[in-house]
Amino acid sequence: MSFPLEIYAIQATHGVVYGMLLFLVASGLTLVFGMMGVLNLAHASFYMLGAYFAYSVTVYSGNFWLSLLISPLFVGTLGILVERFLLRKTYKMGHAAELLLTFGLFFVFGELVRIVWGSIPLSIPVPMLLAGDVPFMGRTYPIYRFFILGFSLFLLLGMALMLMRTRIGIIIRSAVSDAEMVGALGTNVPIVFLGVFGGGSALAAIAGVIAAPFLSIYLGMGADVLIDCFVVIVVGGFGSLPGALIASLMIGELQSFGILWIPRLALVFQFLLMAIVLIIKPTGLFGEKE
Amino acid sequence: MSRLRVYQLGSGVAVTVFSLLIPVIFPQIGIHLAIEVLIYALFAISFNILFGYCGMLPFGHAAFFGVGGYTFALIFRHFPGTPLLLGFVAAALLALLIGVFIGFFCVRLSGPYFSLISIASQMFLFAVALKWRSVTSGDDGMTFARPALHLPMLGEISMRNVVNIYYFTLMVVAVAILACYLFLKTPLGNSFVCIREQEKKASFLGYNVYLVKLAAFLASSILAGLAGGLFAFFSAFVGTSFIDLNMSMSVVVMTVIGGMAYFLGPVLGTIFYIVFQDWMSSLTNYWMIVLGITFIVIVLYAEGGLISLFKNEKVRLWVSRLNK
Repeated sequence: MSFPLEIYAIQATHGVVYGMLLFLVASGLTLVFGMMGVLNLAHASFYMLGAYFAYSVTVYSGNFWLSLLISPLFVGTLGILVERFLLRKTYKMGHAAELLLTFGLFFVFGELVRIVWGSIPLSIPVPMLLAGDVPFMGRTYPIYRFFILGFSLFLLLGMALMLMRTRIGIIIRSAVSDAEMVGALGTNVPIVFLGVFGGGSALAAIAGVIAAPFLSIYLGMGADVLIDCFVVIVVGGFGSLPGALIASLMIGELQSFGILWIPRLALVFQFLLMAIVLIIKPTGLFGEKE
Repeated sequence: MSRLRVYQLGSGVAVTVFSLLIPVIFPQIGIHLAIEVLIYALFAISFNILFGYCGMLPFGHAAFFGVGGYTFALIFRHFPGTPLLLGFVAAALLALLIGVFIGFFCVRLSGPYFSLISIASQMFLFAVALKWRSVTSGDDGMTFARPALHLPMLGEISMRNVVNIYYFTLMVVAVAILACYLFLKTPLGNSFVCIREQEKKASFLGYNVYLVKLAAFLASSILAGLAGGLFAFFSAFVGTSFIDLNMSMSVVVMTVIGGMAYFLGPVLGTIFYIVFQDWMSSLTNYWMIVLGITFIVIVLYAEGGLISLFKNEKVRLWVSRLNK
């Protein structure tokens, strides 16, 4: 099948937009995983809660930008509470208990959302400032998607600067490679981890907020993004941020072009990619740990 | 005979008699619930071979349940004359085959990595079931005529009657659970626990850890496939709900609530889950959240699950005092 060039360009942009969104969610997940070996299934609930909070704030205040501020704050706080009062109890009980706890939270948050907001899909309008289209490659393209792209690039840049150029970034990176040693050198690792957990939750919520106007807000959104994030983590390598970025973009493009070429198999492609990576390099593209 | 032996024998006889009498005691909706309990109990036991015995936590165990269900449904949709038992054999065998493929990837991984690949492979199969409409009918699912059982001496036994379905399911599940119990008592079954406790030590002792884990994975796939086949048989329907995330999640919940440390823990968890669901869902819409919170509390404060209440020394002492 062949399409005009501009279709390819538009699909490729779609792919980058979704990939960046995915990266915002996956980055928190992979950092937490790298530091403490906790695969946090509830992370996807934070993304979902972000979107639902955005809905409520936007409906009550009529201001999308306010929700972009409030929702991550709420969810970040929730993340901190979860880590401090629930997850921390399970570290000494082993990986199974950690997984089961985050799984239970995923379950409970999903139900809470269903009780509070109902099971009908919701949507919020694109903010006035960013409504409409701009000409792009001879066609038009929604401004809002460019905003997602720009905003997530901005966050990525901020994250990279923080991790590479600040003292706290150095601590986080070294805790990813050997948390015990960092603790022995006098850093309060539990506090750092608490911060990373909260920050990761807030990032997931931001992704949820900015996704809300262009994907709809529905109950399965957590599970959907969770599966994509898992593929990202496996493909990119456990605990690797550059890996997560590359893998997110790959998944974004794969889905975007998959829908263009073979719509029926679009869901399957990412799993094939995952299987191939697992055969060739079981640690993922950028992974070093097992 | 020691007192414990008498106690065990007595409770065994009691359970057998009770399960045989269920159609008499609960003639209406109770039979349906009992059939569900039987099938999910088998599914949960298959899950617990991996989780309780091997220490591997498969979050996507519905993959095999679904494969079994779809295999059974497809066979009787397209070849209605197939002998009933052959359908279950095929369901279990296809689940085994899929288990070989998935096991090849994920058995060598440990901890969260294993869980992650397990859930991903389930979602892959879910996507196939959803999108391969020409075979699976996608999210509409498929109905088929429930086949009758042909026995050499007794002739045809119709399966239109729910009591017959109950006794048939009871028989199949009892045989499967017994087989599973005996299998776990073999040296191979013991080596599962050995690897769970001390993987490195086991490999130094000469166990091929990879192969032993794969054996557990395959045994678990076979039983899950059989359970899926039974559920398709019971509902005369198969759909994506057989293979979706909810199915995988409920088996985790059942097993953990019941208690993963004991062979019969998952069975108790299944009974609790099904009865609780039936009872609470008539009272309130929020029963799932009560269940979820129960689950979290059990994970945090009662690792042994509900069954550990029976095994608990204090509780046992209390019960024995009551008996005096």
